[in-house]
Amino acid sequence: MVEAVVSSREEFSSSLAGHKAPPANVNAAQWRNALFVAPYLFFFVTMLVFPLVWGIWLSFHKADTFGVGKFVGLANYARLFGDRIFLLSVGNTFYFVLLTVPALALLGLFLALALNRQTRTAAFFRAAYFSSSVLSVTIVTLIWRIVFVPDFGFLATVYGWFDTKAPAFLSDPNLAMIGIAIATIWWCLGLPMMLFLSALQQVPAEIYEAAALDNANRWQTFRSITLPSIKRTFILVVLIQVVLQFQLFGQARLMTQGGPNNASKPIVLYIYDVAFKRWDLGLGAAASEILFILILIAAMAQYFLTRNRGEN
Amino acid sequence: MTAHIEIKDVVKRFGAATVIDHLSLSIDPNEFMVFLGPSGCGKSTLLRMIAGLESVDEGTISINGARIDNLPPGKRDIAMVFQSYALYPHMTVADNMAFGLRNIGVAADIISARVAEAGRMLEIGHLLERKPGQLSGGQRQRVAIGRAIVKEPKAFLFDEPLSNLDAALRVRTRVELAQLRHRVKSTMIFVTHDQIEAMTLADRIVVMNNRKIEQIGTPMEIYSRPATRFVATFVGSPTMNFVPVRVAGGETGGATVILGDGTHVKTAIPTMKLKAGNFTLGIRAEAVRVAIDGQGVTSGTVDVLERLGDRTLIYTKLKDGSVVVAEDIGYSRVAVNDTVSLSIDGSRVHLFDASDRAWHCEEGLDG
Amino acid sequence: MSNARSTSIMGRESGDRVVLLLVIALALVMVAPVLWVIGLSLKHNAELMANTNSVFYPPYTITNYINILGTSSVFRWILNSLIVSGGLTIFTLVLASLAGYGFARLNFPGRDILFIIVLLGLAVPEQAVLIARHQIFGMLKLHNSYQGLILPGLSAPFGVFLMTQYFRAIPKELDEAALLDNASRFTIFWKVLLPLTVPAQATLGIFTFLWSWNDYLWPLISGTKKEMFTLTVGMASTQTNFAQSEGLGFLMAQAVFAGAPILILYLFFQKYIVTAVSGAAVR
Ligand SMILES: Nc1ncnc2c1ncn2[C@@H]1O[C@H](COP(=O)(O)OP(=O)(O)O)[C@@H](O)[C@H]1O
Ligand SMILES: [Mg+2]
Repeated sequence: MVEAVVSSREEFSSSLAGHKAPPANVNAAQWRNALFVAPYLFFFVTMLVFPLVWGIWLSFHKADTFGVGKFVGLANYARLFGDRIFLLSVGNTFYFVLLTVPALALLGLFLALALNRQTRTAAFFRAAYFSSSVLSVTIVTLIWRIVFVPDFGFLATVYGWFDTKAPAFLSDPNLAMIGIAIATIWWCLGLPMMLFLSALQQVPAEIYEAAALDNANRWQTFRSITLPSIKRTFILVVLIQVVLQFQLFGQARLMTQGGPNNASKPIVLYIYDVAFKRWDLGLGAAASEILFILILIAAMAQYFLTRNRGEN
Repeated sequence: MTAHIEIKDVVKRFGAATVIDHLSLSIDPNEFMVFLGPSGCGKSTLLRMIAGLESVDEGTISINGARIDNLPPGKRDIAMVFQSYALYPHMTVADNMAFGLRNIGVAADIISARVAEAGRMLEIGHLLERKPGQLSGGQRQRVAIGRAIVKEPKAFLFDEPLSNLDAALRVRTRVELAQLRHRVKSTMIFVTHDQIEAMTLADRIVVMNNRKIEQIGTPMEIYSRPATRFVATFVGSPTMNFVPVRVAGGETGGATVILGDGTHVKTAIPTMKLKAGNFTLGIRAEAVRVAIDGQGVTSGTVDVLERLGDRTLIYTKLKDGSVVVAEDIGYSRVAVNDTVSLSIDGSRVHLFDASDRAWHCEEGLDG
Repeated sequence: MSNARSTSIMGRESGDRVVLLLVIALALVMVAPVLWVIGLSLKHNAELMANTNSVFYPPYTITNYINILGTSSVFRWILNSLIVSGGLTIFTLVLASLAGYGFARLNFPGRDILFIIVLLGLAVPEQAVLIARHQIFGMLKLHNSYQGLILPGLSAPFGVFLMTQYFRAIPKELDEAALLDNASRFTIFWKVLLPLTVPAQATLGIFTFLWSWNDYLWPLISGTKKEMFTLTVGMASTQTNFAQSEGLGFLMAQAVFAGAPILILYLFFQKYIVTAVSGAAVR
């Protein structure tokens, strides 16, 4: 007989000898199983949970680079809502979301519908439209500043051919946010397109065949089959983009520095300036919590909207 | 290297639902035991408790007198063949078979000898360097069996191993399994919901239903002396006929039962053991024949004919409306809507009472 | 595919021409700025100072690119980015695989609650923890170090979520067969299941690398010394005031040089990247 069997027999009898063998239940809850998740949980707690709690705590205190001062209750929040620039930055952020999100969703849907075919041309365009998404914000803003910059920018050059002056996207307070929005749409368009494409590909072909047999024309097919089957994805895309665009920072900081005269300053840039330029950490923390709540509302809307749809 | 498996008073619950309820069972060394029952009756659960993949809530399981229900699966000296085969997709066939042996530190030359031997026995020697994804369903199934064989376990557990094969391959593999068990001396437990697999492979069958054992017996015992109406229904094809009858009583020898249409049938079931009253009579189609000469005990109208080639099944309706399936020769002349005369073999009938107790015919009594 | 055909509004008829033209026009708008930047990068600085229209005719030059090789800090920043993104990617894969296996396959007290808490972490934006993190790292003297740039990313719940889902999709019979084969929990993880998660590892790895490579906010406030800049932050630092810049061509060359690696990576791993990024979005 082979050793292996013998050895397993030995263990076998030793566990019979009355030592309290662990329960054989392979599915039982055991502490040592937690060892697999422990390394991640360490970072989760120290880098996410703890800072989150500390941030909330900070927002109720006077704090600067020299340390955390006394408890001030809601004073930081009161200061925040008394600060014209903060309120302006909240307004700017909402304005920016309004500028970008509908455009991203509709353009993404249009491109997905146009490029949802198995040809090489379509594949080429898909790849091209998505390529800008992999660039970093620095490169994106560099590109668009050199487009918008007066006198020798791309836009100025093109307008120059017609002897007109290009709109001053970066220096006109009324246009600054629009300029940032254009660069952002250029940067972020790939993701909505891809999400719509994968939704379209999940619609079973039989449904279209059935519709064709029912003599539906293309517009009817689009309205009664395609649109309903991507409704969920549409909600998803809109809410992902809302959450994403709420966090506008790099583009504004690099293209306009929030100017002119704070006309393009979003919440995150406000937080950055307050916390890391003026080192008013308590105030910055309070502004962060406001942003957190706004994003949480959007995330919850996503959860409930997609969930209720799923049950139908 | 074989196992006497003793299951005592075992209970298994999933949350509030009891799936196995105080079940006891003894499996002899080298026995081929089949767990048979409808889907969801707890066969797999029982098998997985023996393997150690499910915990035992109450009761004990022992092998050769030693308790194993506290041992982890790997220490029970048992091999299992899964319904989905569960081959490791990224390992070659040889590595699939060697994995378990490597884990317990068996020497490399012994491993390769055993893998080669299993490959030869199962005729998959030429596939040893392939990955499971490159094999057909039948080949995968052999690898799964090979993986069990190389471990030389005390017991083999099979959980519906044939159900993923197409019909022809299933029959062939069934025959091969029957041959295999004579070459590999070991206890085997085989789970299936297919009565033909059970009848053809088993030394003994455990018929399970609804958390408990209905009957344990050899295939012929199960077939000819079903302990409950459930067993009688589940085993045999076509399904046994059930007809409500009255037992007159007051006789000696075989009891006479009276069908709904007034027909008297003399059976070989001892009268002494019966109380007069209402029963359900069970008769397999093979015991109800079309009497060509018109000399049958009763008659019925033909509803449907099923020609199976070697025989013909005839669905008839008796005068009182009860439906009886009868058998006739392959080239039966009967046509739908005919009235046929039926003879009933009283030595091959069963009686069931309201509490599901069964009575069978006994030798020496006339039917 | 009939599916693709009938959902497309780009088909045979006259309306389709319009759609095709729109797609091409939009593509030109997408590409034009990039071509403009590449064009500028191929011109002498002096020539551009005179007239940027000179982009449209020769002479072209690669002087600007050669100048990068000699003078620029770009290499240091690329190195930093490689270390930070590479390190973060490797550690994320290790942590997420272990945790994903743990959550998907093992039982321990409080597992389900813990998993839900980790999922809730997905809803926490970086800004909500930024200030406190900055303070903590200040106390631990972690700013301007590679650890300081890598550690925060390790807390991202996305990888754990992705790997848990992936492990859950692998049939449990494989674990059970391995248990009967005398494999320990770690052997099952390491030899049986992990090799099957390679596609998920690729997705998660690419996504993490890309995200880290392009991350701007945390490196901006943590790696404040010039020699600790990542490529993203470093590139931003050079372009503060180029309105009057003499080195326009040089600046553009630097941008092309910095953007090229990730674009080339994209071309090679296009399929994985698309899956990774849209997978990340769908959660
Ligand atoms: N892990 C589980 N959790 C809850 N219920 C289960 C589980 N496994 C099996 N069951 C239930 O136990 C019963 C028996 O299942 P099973 O043993 O798989 O049946 P069979 O193999 O006979 O088809 C079924 O009702 C099934 O739903
Ligand atoms: Mg089963």
